[in-house]
Amino acid sequence: MKLARRLLGKLVTGLVMIWVVATFTFFLVRKLPGNPVQAEYERLIQGGLSPDQAKAQAAVMFGFQPHTPLAEQYLHYLWRLLHLDFGQSTSYSGVGVGHVVRSAAPWTITLVMTGIIASFLIGVTFGIIAAVRRTSKLGDTLTISGSLLHGVPQFVIALLLAYVFTTLWPVLPFGAPYNVTVEPGWNLAFINSVVVHAILPVSAYALSSYGGWLLTMKSSVVSVLGDDFILAAELRGIRPITRMRYIGRNAILPLFTVLALSIGLLFGGSIFIENIFDYPGLGHLLLQAINKRDYPLMSGAFLMITVAVVIVNILADLFYSVIDPRVRRV
Amino acid sequence: MTAVAKAPLVTPKSIPRRVPIWVVLGKVLRRKPSRMVGVGIIALFLLMAVFGPVIYSKLPIDTNNVYASPSSTHLLGTDYAGVDVLALVVSGARYVLFSALVAAIVTVVVGTAVGLVSGYHRGFTDSALMRVTDFVLTVPGFPLLVVLSTIWSFGAPLQMGFVLGITGWGGLARAVRSQTLSLRERGFLEAARALGLPTRHVITREVLPNIAPYIAMNLLLAVTGAIYAQVGLFFLGIVPPTANNWGVMLNNAVFNAGALTSTQALPYLLSPLICILVLTLGIVLVVDAMDELFNPRLRAR
Amino acid sequence: MLAPVNEPVAVDVRDLTVVYRTGDVELAAVTRVNIDLVPGEITGLVGESGSGKSTLALALLNAVPDPGRVAAGSIEVTGLGDVTKLKGKKLRHARGETLGYVFQASQNSLNPLKPVGKQLLDLGRSHDVRDLRALVADARSLADEMGLDGKRVLAAYQHELSGGMRQRVGIIFALVLNARVLILDEPTTALDMLSQAAVLSIVKRVHAERALTTLIVTHDMGVIAEVADRLAVMYGGRIVEDGPAERILREPQHPYTRGLIGAMPRIVGDPDEAQSLPGRPPDLATLEKHGCVFRSRCTLRMDICDTVDPPLVEVGPRRRVACHAVVHDEASDVSLTKVGSRA
Repeated sequence: MKLARRLLGKLVTGLVMIWVVATFTFFLVRKLPGNPVQAEYERLIQGGLSPDQAKAQAAVMFGFQPHTPLAEQYLHYLWRLLHLDFGQSTSYSGVGVGHVVRSAAPWTITLVMTGIIASFLIGVTFGIIAAVRRTSKLGDTLTISGSLLHGVPQFVIALLLAYVFTTLWPVLPFGAPYNVTVEPGWNLAFINSVVVHAILPVSAYALSSYGGWLLTMKSSVVSVLGDDFILAAELRGIRPITRMRYIGRNAILPLFTVLALSIGLLFGGSIFIENIFDYPGLGHLLLQAINKRDYPLMSGAFLMITVAVVIVNILADLFYSVIDPRVRRV
Repeated sequence: MTAVAKAPLVTPKSIPRRVPIWVVLGKVLRRKPSRMVGVGIIALFLLMAVFGPVIYSKLPIDTNNVYASPSSTHLLGTDYAGVDVLALVVSGARYVLFSALVAAIVTVVVGTAVGLVSGYHRGFTDSALMRVTDFVLTVPGFPLLVVLSTIWSFGAPLQMGFVLGITGWGGLARAVRSQTLSLRERGFLEAARALGLPTRHVITREVLPNIAPYIAMNLLLAVTGAIYAQVGLFFLGIVPPTANNWGVMLNNAVFNAGALTSTQALPYLLSPLICILVLTLGIVLVVDAMDELFNPRLRAR
Repeated sequence: MLAPVNEPVAVDVRDLTVVYRTGDVELAAVTRVNIDLVPGEITGLVGESGSGKSTLALALLNAVPDPGRVAAGSIEVTGLGDVTKLKGKKLRHARGETLGYVFQASQNSLNPLKPVGKQLLDLGRSHDVRDLRALVADARSLADEMGLDGKRVLAAYQHELSGGMRQRVGIIFALVLNARVLILDEPTTALDMLSQAAVLSIVKRVHAERALTTLIVTHDMGVIAEVADRLAVMYGGRIVEDGPAERILREPQHPYTRGLIGAMPRIVGDPDEAQSLPGRPPDLATLEKHGCVFRSRCTLRMDICDTVDPPLVEVGPRRRVACHAVVHDEASDVSLTKVGSRA
């Protein structure tokens, strides 16, 4: 019961967040320098449409009617959002923003999730080793490597990786999500191509975030090692393996609170990674939209990124309350 | 009647003196010499930031020598316009460090204030502040910055620092709050309140000193985060280049000079990258030292 | 490796010295301690913090934590030999099957993420118990004996149990494998008065029922008065006095013991008569290296106390004191004033 209440609370918070972001983009678009609607309107007129048609078209694209009161426009905007109508893209002439975003999302999500899982596994394992062997050279080296990579900006790692493995020592492909000569579809050649092309970007994600996992896990394990019940287990003659499982389970808990945070960071980082490696994902889309002044698309992409982050956060939180029984009662 | 006679009070010979903090600091630094290196690195970059643009008040240009390889006259070669790369790097440090510092300060001030008030007062204030903090934390920071750049071009270092600080205080607020809460558990806060000490005194004289080391470490880490963010923003060309800094150099190197596809502009690409790496390394080493200094549990037993 | 249930197990500590390394120096927490824990007796070990009593208790399971180690002496346990020489699997089995350790109530001695029952099963599996169901049944009946709802407790998580309940669960975990030696570390600290009384009566009962060899480590004289058959007083890593509990409580001989008892206000009479000991208990670093460790706070201090560490000397039937002044007086047959002789 308490669990359901928590879940509901998180959902409401998430919805509020999405709403705030939506409102933010609403006002943002209206504050843009050089009225883009006007620009679009003029462009359409030049293309040969009548003023009325142009006005209507521009309105549909941007999703607002310039001569109605602001409040009404706002409500209309929210209404459309609830129907999952994000307006139309101005750069992909006439194509719905929702459609564009939907085709870009899978790329971002698969890359980011793979990166998170890889970095989590590596980071946690190294973190445990670093904690258990913290007085040895191995432990120290692992810790420093984690701190170092943790502090290096994501795109720096991406740039270095790109440079080393595609120019200096060209072993990996660069510049596309898959080999363009291969037929997309569920065939082996395509999948193989996708995977090979994904190695560099996923490595960039993984390398930039594994440090965080390492450091947090190390400090968590060190902390749990000092806990009473670990000593108690030893004094009761518990098997070493069981004792290690006690340590592991307890130590990994705090990492889940960090998980939510790092997901947000990685999604944000997709702007870089996808640009450097030329992947048609959400980050790339956002940047492209800004460069082309395609504001409906920009709002849509930004909103979608936020929604993705919110959902993953809620899931992580749910997962945490399943694992930690102490949380369930409060 | 009791048989234990009253014995004369025994005064101990001497009260053992607590080891002064700089002695401990020295020991910690010396234990892993790499930490001294860290301090040295930070000092070096600070010098660059302060004196760089003074030394290179006019950037040495050699227009005949574009994309030169490293030589004795141009230690790191030149860029697309013939400007000496070393000069660019050194003078670019000021912008980077200054705005990063501003960002870190804003982050620390706002984050600490929110965390302290939230953790200390609890109740409604706490919930409200935490909602706001959660919001700041969840909304993806970098995309927000990118979107924000469409209506506000924050190229000047102060503006840059401010924006970065305002979007990044969430994590610190949460952490400070949890530290404050755990300090509350220790009871000495209640004792202070029971003594009738005013809230402001309690917060500044009791709580702050206890979390100060934590804040100091986070300040340094916030600096690295801010460097990352601003270099990234310039690199992607989102913020128009108003001054020379490492991010602008990277942008030029990759997009104008095609550094990723050829080796001609290699020093131009690598110099700012290496600077970022080295500076980050320096900060990480110092934070590592501070960590061991303030957290005795991590010290090797 | 389980000793048959009724086999008495004695613990003989011989010349035990335990040291801790700090920096380059090793400081002694326990120095040349000799004490016997006799089957069927509850022995109380009393001392202030820093006296070495907890270290001694841990040493009985060969569990002195890093950076400490047993530097000299031995701990002979019936059926196990010298515990300080036990390692690996043998040590692991000894802990729990022969030697049972109960933590303070305030400590969280259970894994917060697992229900108590599951941890009991972990315990059983670690000790190669073949019939786990019988183990659980034993635990349940122990729980019922202690006034707990066995089924509920086994299904609960640690944070769902009160301090008194946790303490009782701790005792169950210590005894469920039929340990013959029971060691309790501060069993009543952090408990309210009612729970304290309940826990002590439980300890007395299981001790008698199972004919255990029990050691209670505490700083609370009241606990000793309530349950202990024998009493040993520790100061600065040494045993300064031991013997039958009641006799010592009535007629303490060592100045420290007299100070401890004298410091307790009586229920009747003038509370001002209670006097605390002057000075502070030593810590490892400030401990005297030569001579008597108590001399700086002692009212009976003599010249010899500065140079010679007083040995534990028998001054009566199964009664020993480590004090130059007392032994000297005993030898010359001077009677000592009794403490606590009130109507």
